[in-house]
Amino acid sequence: MVYLKVGHMTCHMTSLELARTGGNLVNEVNYIGLWQIVNTNNSGKLVQIEYALNAVKQGVTAIAIKSGNGIVLATERKANSVLLKNDTNSKVELITPDIGMTYSGMGPDFRVLVDKARKLAHTNYKRIYNEYPPVKILVQEIAKVMQESTQSGGIRPFGVSLLVGGYDQHSESFQLYQVDPSGSYFPWKATAIGKSSVSAKTFLEKRWNENLELDDAIHVALLALKESVDGELTGENLDISVVSEPQQQSLGFLGTDVAGPRFKKLSAEEINDRLDAL
Amino acid sequence: MSDPFSINGGAAVAMVGKDCIAIACDTRLGSQSLGLANNFEKVFQMGKTTFLGLTGLATDVITLREDFRLKNNLYKLREEREMEPKTLANLVSTSLYERRFGPYFVSPIVAGLGKGGQPFICGFDLIGCIDFAKDFIVSGTASDQLYGTCESLYEPNLEPEDLFETISQALLNAVDRDALSGWGAVVYVVTKEKVVRRVLRTRQD
Amino acid sequence: MEALVQRLAPPPAHVDPDEYDLGADGEGNLNALGVVRGMQVPRVPDPAAFLSTYTNSMSQNPQAKIKLEHGTTTLAFRFRGGIIVSVDSRATAGSYIASGTVKKVIEINKYLLGTMAGGAADCQYWETYLGMRCRMHELRNKERISVAAASKLLANIVYEYKGQGLSMGTMICGWDKTGPAIFYVDSEGTRLKGDVFAVGSGATFAYGVLDQGYSWDLSDEDAQELGRRAIVAAGHRDAYSGNTNNLFHVREDGWEFLGNKDISELWYKYEQEKRDARVAAAAQPGSGEGAQGENPARPTTEVQSVPMEE
Repeated sequence: MVYLKVGHMTCHMTSLELARTGGNLVNEVNYIGLWQIVNTNNSGKLVQIEYALNAVKQGVTAIAIKSGNGIVLATERKANSVLLKNDTNSKVELITPDIGMTYSGMGPDFRVLVDKARKLAHTNYKRIYNEYPPVKILVQEIAKVMQESTQSGGIRPFGVSLLVGGYDQHSESFQLYQVDPSGSYFPWKATAIGKSSVSAKTFLEKRWNENLELDDAIHVALLALKESVDGELTGENLDISVVSEPQQQSLGFLGTDVAGPRFKKLSAEEINDRLDAL
Repeated sequence: MSDPFSINGGAAVAMVGKDCIAIACDTRLGSQSLGLANNFEKVFQMGKTTFLGLTGLATDVITLREDFRLKNNLYKLREEREMEPKTLANLVSTSLYERRFGPYFVSPIVAGLGKGGQPFICGFDLIGCIDFAKDFIVSGTASDQLYGTCESLYEPNLEPEDLFETISQALLNAVDRDALSGWGAVVYVVTKEKVVRRVLRTRQD
Repeated sequence: MEALVQRLAPPPAHVDPDEYDLGADGEGNLNALGVVRGMQVPRVPDPAAFLSTYTNSMSQNPQAKIKLEHGTTTLAFRFRGGIIVSVDSRATAGSYIASGTVKKVIEINKYLLGTMAGGAADCQYWETYLGMRCRMHELRNKERISVAAASKLLANIVYEYKGQGLSMGTMICGWDKTGPAIFYVDSEGTRLKGDVFAVGSGATFAYGVLDQGYSWDLSDEDAQELGRRAIVAAGHRDAYSGNTNNLFHVREDGWEFLGNKDISELWYKYEQEKRDARVAAAAQPGSGEGAQGENPARPTTEVQSVPMEE
């Protein structure tokens, strides 16, 4: 066993592990490396989290806006080639019937987190209380998963920031959160993550107000995306979901007093209709 | 008489009134025929208007009281709000079913006012099957007697004062026909405005 | 002598019902002389085993259909002024309180009392029967039967049925030529003469009070109060005893019924007296100092309306 001192932290590694790093303990390690040691640079930052945030910053822009009667989660679904069959790839996902989630950063990491979040919603909440978790509780569960990945051996932090939006039955209000790779989370009225998040946020700051309705929010989201998307905006290359009124017409809910799901994905046609109205 | 449910004795009952509920219990703790204590309450306040009643084996009553106190307090810290009676009912149910093959020997009841002051009562078997009721729920060694008194005394939409009278008479007359219950009684009447706790003067034999 | 025994002794329990001539010269299962001719017994190889599947009086079978009264507190004690007999009035079937108004003192005659513990029917039947036999003795001998003789009659009768499920624990109390006498007789065949007895599930609690308060030289009033207090203590602690207390005083000229009182009401009365005594002791100048420190007057918690905590 060789003991190594890196930054402020004392780490220990086997010679095998040392070999895997090429024998060099440096701060600049390729983010998608096989194995890394947790280390800090001289400013006290946990650099792996910095790398993860870099991955997010390079990611496709995702936007979420809260309004009085719903939340919109929107992002671009990039197709790098006309040969790519793109309509199966979903970037905004249902977690519980009243909560949706999108991301910026690494797609595979997002899908892992979607799986974990869906499962946690049940194991840590619904199977105990027979009701779905409120948005904040679910966000905390996800944030816990992401935080643990920054402090566990042999794994790297998740390379995504998340936007989690949903309806809270207890306060009867819509809630929107951003979760970062470090496990930090923030409540937002409207926000953007990813490549052009700075300019999008500036745009949202100008356009958001308390009286916004869901239709306005979708409109603002499309306008914001328009700025960050290189090519033409179409229903086919956008992924937009809303969390709004319960959909009682859904199968199994009609005629019951059980509220239907509030999460709804907009179809390409619906998006195109709205784009036409821009 | 080795039935765990009737070693220590005890009874509890809950009733729904007009925009109110009442929940009551006796305070006897015994060991078979021997009365040990007359201050063993079996109804516990879990929130402003939410109550949990536990009858059965006294050691399990205490264990579960503490277990649910812990879970309720953690819930309050996490969610920054109180647990709804319906949520508590589901928590009780899942907690009991976790011990499906080595159960706690208790017959819990839950009573409270839900969101908007909606009255809610329910009962459970020892492994967590919920018994939702619109009128009343009984539990304990005097449950047979309580069914009798409740069936005859209960009427729907009682005002808090009348509900107190009804549940008190139902409990008192039931435990007076049960050798293992009695030795004092406590009644809670819960409205949106206030919770009133009354200690009843009961037979002491 | 042989002939006498032959005549007085009840026939064996196994009597062929066909030979059993009801009402021919007597009434029910009694012959013309009033002697029990024998109980009808089911025609099975082992009647006792057959019966035990239906009763819990042999306490081997918890699923027995016929639950006989078991919980009780009865007591009797002898003192200078005669005998105090004090009993509760609760009858239970399992944990169910079947009755709170049972008469557990059986008035055999003007001078004899029998108490009831165990099977209610057994006690009632055989002690009533004992009353009849005692009257026969009087008619035959032109004098009252002694308590010793009366209790022995009962002891002999129940011994005949030993092992067949009879359940009784009784005290035969009375005044005869020798003065006041108490005999404890039970269905196992025990017959004991004594000064202080308590019988039933609450007996230990009653003994606790009796032992600390008993003296031969007790006044009538104190003795009666002791009898009451002991039953109240038992009614309080024992789940299977309670409801009301029946109190009797046996004197030279026969027994006197001193009334039926609610045990719970008595309990509250005694508690109040205890509190008053504590308050008085605390208020006593000089002597109160020590008592005040050791035994402060406690608040009355159990009957008060308590304000909400939250």
